[in-house]
Amino acid sequence: MKSISLGQYYPADSVIHRMDPRVKVICAVAYIVASFLCKNFFSFMLLLVSAIILVLISRIPLRIVLGSMKALIFIMAFTAVINIFWITDPGAEPLFSWWIIKVYTKGLYHALFILVRIVAMIIGTSIFLTYTTSPIALTDAIERLLYPLSLLHVPVHTFAMMMTIALRFIPTIVDETDKIMSAQKARGADFTTGSLSDRVKALIPVIVPLFASAFRRADELATAMECRCYHGGEGRTRLRVLKLHARDFVVLAVMAAFIAGVVLINICGARNGWLYTMTIA
Amino acid sequence: MKKRRKNVTETVADTTPVTYMNPVPEGEIPMLRLTHVNYRYSAGTPFEVKALDDINLNIRRGRITGLIGHTGCGKSTLVQLFNGLNRAESGTVELDGEDIWKEPKEIGKIRFRVGLVMQYPEYQLFEETVRADIGFGPKNMKLSPEEIEERVNEAAAFVGLTPDLMDRSPFDLSGGQKRRVAIAGIMAMRPQVLVLDEPAAGLDPQGRHSIFSGIRDYGRRTGCTVIIVSHSMEDMAQYCDDVVVMAHSKVLMAGGRDSVFIRADELEGVGLDIPLVTKLTILLREGGMKIDPGLYTVDAMEDALCEAFGLPLYCDSPDGGPEKGGGRA
Amino acid sequence: MDDASTLERPVLIDVKDVSYAYPPESSDPRPVLSHVNMTVREGEYVAILGHNGSGKSTLAKLINLVIDDYTYAEGQILVNGRDVMSDDITEEEILDLRRSVGMVFQNPDNQLVATIVEEDVAFGPENLGIPQKELRQRVDDALETVGMTEYAQHEPHRLSGGQKQRVAIAGIIAMKPRCMIFDESTAMLDPMGRKEVVATMEKLNREEGITVLSITHYMDEAARADRVVVLSDGKIILDGTPDYVFDHAETMRAAGLDLPQCTAAAKYLKTRGVKLEGSLTSVESCAEAILKAWRERQRKEGACD
Repeated sequence: MKSISLGQYYPADSVIHRMDPRVKVICAVAYIVASFLCKNFFSFMLLLVSAIILVLISRIPLRIVLGSMKALIFIMAFTAVINIFWITDPGAEPLFSWWIIKVYTKGLYHALFILVRIVAMIIGTSIFLTYTTSPIALTDAIERLLYPLSLLHVPVHTFAMMMTIALRFIPTIVDETDKIMSAQKARGADFTTGSLSDRVKALIPVIVPLFASAFRRADELATAMECRCYHGGEGRTRLRVLKLHARDFVVLAVMAAFIAGVVLINICGARNGWLYTMTIA
Repeated sequence: MKKRRKNVTETVADTTPVTYMNPVPEGEIPMLRLTHVNYRYSAGTPFEVKALDDINLNIRRGRITGLIGHTGCGKSTLVQLFNGLNRAESGTVELDGEDIWKEPKEIGKIRFRVGLVMQYPEYQLFEETVRADIGFGPKNMKLSPEEIEERVNEAAAFVGLTPDLMDRSPFDLSGGQKRRVAIAGIMAMRPQVLVLDEPAAGLDPQGRHSIFSGIRDYGRRTGCTVIIVSHSMEDMAQYCDDVVVMAHSKVLMAGGRDSVFIRADELEGVGLDIPLVTKLTILLREGGMKIDPGLYTVDAMEDALCEAFGLPLYCDSPDGGPEKGGGRA
Repeated sequence: MDDASTLERPVLIDVKDVSYAYPPESSDPRPVLSHVNMTVREGEYVAILGHNGSGKSTLAKLINLVIDDYTYAEGQILVNGRDVMSDDITEEEILDLRRSVGMVFQNPDNQLVATIVEEDVAFGPENLGIPQKELRQRVDDALETVGMTEYAQHEPHRLSGGQKQRVAIAGIIAMKPRCMIFDESTAMLDPMGRKEVVATMEKLNREEGITVLSITHYMDEAARADRVVVLSDGKIILDGTPDYVFDHAETMRAAGLDLPQCTAAAKYLKTRGVKLEGSLTSVESCAEAILKAWRERQRKEGACD
């Protein structure tokens, strides 16, 4: 009955869903890097267009993608406003000026750029990672991508195991919290009225049993894992073997071309002074 | 998360006539009366699950009622309606003749009047001492320290917790003792109705007997109405006066235990485990022996077998066992 | 035990004079096990009965070396001829022991590791370093054996208790053990889940030839075993076939255990002088025995008239 969607995985059948999770992680990182590389109007437009294309090929409904941005709207608006008023352009005539506030064309462009960058970053990470990759696949991918670090004695496997167990137990613990709260309500506990300190105190009867049970679970799980011959990551094989397909290489190539495009536009822009202009001079 | 219908502020009283409801003797107001109660999970989504489907039920005062059914038949949902932890989508729940949701803000008081012991209640213990934990409910009732002390001691005695345990940490006790502490925690609120969801789950036979007989004694001595949810038909047969059988979100049978166990074949039909003795009766009757149908205790079975074999009945145990004379439908 | 074919089989687990106690400074320093002796033969289905705190779970954990503190353990436990309690046991031997003696616990929630059923089943063999191709085969076979193939891609937390427990069993079978210990694996399940798990246990023993050691306090489960060992306060008080053990109703009662209702009723008839033949462990066999005696009596009475 519980339908907790961790990481908001949205099942659909698209190229991006079928991609190797490792490639998706690389793409997400590359996409963020690309968004920071953008320097002028045209590269930002390329970024925006690419974001829209990403949403379209992922087959995730637009309202879901926009929905995830709702939470960040305040930050976005705030950054934009700051940019509008903060950026000064000593050589230029202010577009608008009142008291000490001066708004320049440059400021407007900066605000626009920042907005595009934030939107692209959100879309890039959510389309490549959260919406199209299940948490378990993501953990898997991260473990494998970080594998070289384990040669430097970084406990990559342990870390991935911890993530897997956390993912496995979150629904169980949420369920349990619900049960304990009901049980305490049946004993007259009140979680909804009273002052803030009252409410914090009212949580003690929930938190103490929850911790006790989490420790008990951890203990039992450790025994069960031992019984199943767990002895760390050494010598382990995996059921799920990640295999790169042709489409993964194509995506990587497209991603490389995209970054090259951004860089190229930047270089051309620097030569021709396209910084804030909409026209190619 | 369970999606409860939040927009329900007032449930509409359904006045359509009740098709069937287990009877109560004339003049008696049932302790709990449910009429046309419906409940759905994830209502309005494609995952909608009907948990309770037009439940009409009387729970008689002062008696021990067993509530039985498969996992997912709706019994756990039902018990959370009794004390207002959940609210039915439609229909009414009356406690002692009054709708429990008449004053929604006062629902907290209903929870003191209908005490609910949830499944595996030992996992809700949190206080530093057993005494404090049992006193948590009474403390929430804003009783005086003396009153709390008295109730805690009384409840502890009912479940058989010895005084030396009272100042220990509940986390140091054995599983069975923890369970008793949790049950005492509800008894200490002196509810009019005590509801227990699987009070003996996971306990060994001795633990089961002592928990169940403790609960039965409590009911007999305080006159409290007791409702026990259990999977075990054998325990129901031994300790309950009335039995309610649920299947597929509906009440399948309700009434005195005799009236339920005589319909053993129907119980088997919905996949419930009937007591082994009852099963034996069915097999022996199929084999041609003339034995009353619906026997549900070993004692009754022994008598019936003596009769069938033409042996004289004799009372071998002076105390007569737990339910001598009963167990015959 | 009188079954000759069982006696000829090699001994798999030999518990020799094992005692165990918690450290003297703990809150309950009473001995958990005292001088326990028992053997389990290859292919046997043994039920260990006992009340809560009788030491039955400790025994199981000792066999699988998952007890934290061995300071107060005495005696020998030979698994496959190797004493697992000796100090010179190597890491590799421990792994081999746990692979060949698998264990399923009580709480189905607390033994599943992965977020997808088939990945959980693979967990054990993955730890053993089984190559990927064989791993796939083992996982599929194990899921098939417990009848959970269609749930391979499900999330464990959405399954019923019985299904979770079957997944846990599959996770052990995938390691290809010779023996499986069920440590009260049905105690937290509803009757339906209990039936599923007991049927799986029986199937493993009868069809896959796996030695099963089932720790329980349910009589009807014990009645299905080849042999029943009754533990009370850390001592073995009865050891024999279900019929033999159920014949000692008084000893059982003293250990906090009841006979199955049908057996109790049939035994009563026996005490009243009615001769009942055959096993009295299941309701079907009880009915059969009673009916046989009853028909006999009817016939005799008919002859007298």
